[in-house]
Amino acid sequence: MPIVQLHHVRKAYDSKVAVEDLSFTIEPGTMFGLLGPNGSGKTSSIRMMIGITVPDSGSVSLFDQPFDRGMLARVGYLPEERGLYKKMNVLDQLVFLGQLHGLSGSEARRRSHQWCERLDIAEAIPKKTEDLSKGMQQKIQFIASLLHDPELIIMDEPFTGLDPVNAVLLMDTLVDLRRQGKAVLFSTHRMDQVEKLCDNIALIHRGNLVLSGSMREIKASYPRNRVHIAFAGDDWFLRHPAVEEYKLYPGYADIKLRPSPTLEDDSQALLASAIGRARVDRFEVTEPTLEEIFIEKVQETSPSKNGRELSMAQLDQPSRSDLDA
Amino acid sequence: MHNVWLIARREYIERIRTRGFLITTVMIPAIMAGFIFGSTFLSSSAKPDTRIAIVSSDTQLALDLQAELQPLMRGTQPRVVRHPRLIVDAMDIGPDTRSVVDQELESGDLDGYLWIAPAGTPGARPTFTFTPRSSDQDAIRSVLAGALSTVLLREQLAHRGIVAADADTMLQPVEIVAARLPRHQDHESAEVSVTVLFFLMYMVIMLYGMNVARSIIEEKTSRIFEVMLATIRPPEMMAGKIIGVGSVGLTQVAIWLAAGLLLARSSMVTHLAGHSLQITLTAPQVAYFFVYFILGYVFYSSIAAALGAMTNSEQELQQLNMFLVLPLAFCFVMLKDVLEAPDGTLSRILALIPPFTPLLMYLRVCLGHPSPVEVIASIVLTSASIYAIIWVTSRIYRIGVLMYGKRPNIIEILRWLRYS
Repeated sequence: MPIVQLHHVRKAYDSKVAVEDLSFTIEPGTMFGLLGPNGSGKTSSIRMMIGITVPDSGSVSLFDQPFDRGMLARVGYLPEERGLYKKMNVLDQLVFLGQLHGLSGSEARRRSHQWCERLDIAEAIPKKTEDLSKGMQQKIQFIASLLHDPELIIMDEPFTGLDPVNAVLLMDTLVDLRRQGKAVLFSTHRMDQVEKLCDNIALIHRGNLVLSGSMREIKASYPRNRVHIAFAGDDWFLRHPAVEEYKLYPGYADIKLRPSPTLEDDSQALLASAIGRARVDRFEVTEPTLEEIFIEKVQETSPSKNGRELSMAQLDQPSRSDLDA
Repeated sequence: MHNVWLIARREYIERIRTRGFLITTVMIPAIMAGFIFGSTFLSSSAKPDTRIAIVSSDTQLALDLQAELQPLMRGTQPRVVRHPRLIVDAMDIGPDTRSVVDQELESGDLDGYLWIAPAGTPGARPTFTFTPRSSDQDAIRSVLAGALSTVLLREQLAHRGIVAADADTMLQPVEIVAARLPRHQDHESAEVSVTVLFFLMYMVIMLYGMNVARSIIEEKTSRIFEVMLATIRPPEMMAGKIIGVGSVGLTQVAIWLAAGLLLARSSMVTHLAGHSLQITLTAPQVAYFFVYFILGYVFYSSIAAALGAMTNSEQELQQLNMFLVLPLAFCFVMLKDVLEAPDGTLSRILALIPPFTPLLMYLRVCLGHPSPVEVIASIVLTSASIYAIIWVTSRIYRIGVLMYGKRPNIIEILRWLRYS
């Protein structure tokens, strides 16, 4: 039984098209990555999934049934824009949000304590929300979205602003929930963060689906033509004929190999050439990263754009012109 | 419905708990009570008895004067009920009388003395000198002058052979009784208490209407809406908020009314303040107060909710809050006209215009004689316009709360109304 089904969903605001003909399915017990740069329509899609807005055309099904507000008690949502009542005490806040999701007061209180202990913030319980650090507030909001034991968990940029320790804590929690059979939807522009986590992904760009499917299959469909090399000494090996393009950083280089049926031999030849003049500390051959795949895909679908325009920098730095253009 | 209840309850509890609520709720009646007690206390006890001496070699004159002043001494004259009691001593002139009275004046045992020096030539009037302790005793001097001329006149009349009883009749002061229609008296005190309630209604509607707008803006800036809207509908949120905030206002008004009535009923206040303070409120006046307060609050807070949803900051709200303030201020301006002629044509028309109904119709119901049809019409008209406002507001609200950034212009708002 699919947890979420989007069927040719379209949403336009005034003159801008936020989402165009978007379809995907999320199965229980999986992690789904909804990926794309800022302004690509991720949040708009999520809002339609949970009935904050209604699609102009197409349909949304949750739990194998057409969308109905009654289903929202089975959905946990961590919005991109975090919001809590600042003046409210943490426990009251969690209980209130739990009650809105259909829990009884006492049950909400019991679970709030459990979750706070699980996420190491039991000491925050009696405090006022505004007295907490930003990271702690984020954990409170995280708990609030999980308190009612939802079957579908929607996380919009869950890790922004969290230190690595807490990001891992949250990630482990989500992996745990997936193991329990929950469906987790990640929405993020930080593709590297979810690359290892997601079972399935949908890449969107300007409201259009660019690529979707199983993470493993997508990766496997790409040749292992990326080389990461950490070295000391001469970088002359970068001029090896197998190298199509490279980026040189202090102490290491990222290389893309020229397409060839003998890629594995090419990479070994490159390694041999590097060892000749430099000391190699690390040599790794991989598939392209999700980000690289994304850029490649975007260039394919809109050939008028030259490659430079969609650099990584632009992925991280959102611009509204993406929508307007 | 459950969600509306949850939101209203949260709003209510969080607001009741704030220090601000406690302070305004407790302090305003406390200040009111303090003011009333304080002013009555000051006026009743600040002035002690006034003691004066009449120094005269003519003992008969001194005694006559003392007798004339008798009513003032007993403090029974209604005119001086709030004034200090007058104590009059009569003294003969001895060799050291002057120094004795001067000393007593100095030490504060006397507030003044009247020195009556016999006339040099027989038949002429003696000279009267009043020496007050402080210069603010003009009132006593004129009281003395009045009493003296009566006494002297009576003496003259006696000399001309007129019997004392006749003289008393002739000298009987004319009294004009200030009579009032009993209904008018009621009306006046009702006018005072209804005006107080009018102010209360005006203040609380304004205050809590703005609170609704402000709390919506706060939730917009804290981005809590996104979380809330993932489970509940915008109209539920709006309803919960209006009900929750309004209940806080009602609670506050109820506390104030209860405190005010208790204060007015307590024997201490009536005793201290005498006739100057009279709060008369009838049960229908209180009941109508709540009816029109609720109508007015819902009317204006729904507008405020729309304003809050359209704006992103308090500053932006300031620019729009004239929609809230102007109609209320207009009622305020019309207060005098409606008080003067609660059943006049102007009052009757204004009281039926929904934005003005809650405040002005309330005045009319309490002080005038609106027909039942007018009362029902006012309630129906206001309810109908509340319905229309909520229809518009909920549409603005639904879209507005998710709009951050620039304030929408009127065309965009019209588009929101069409959008569903």
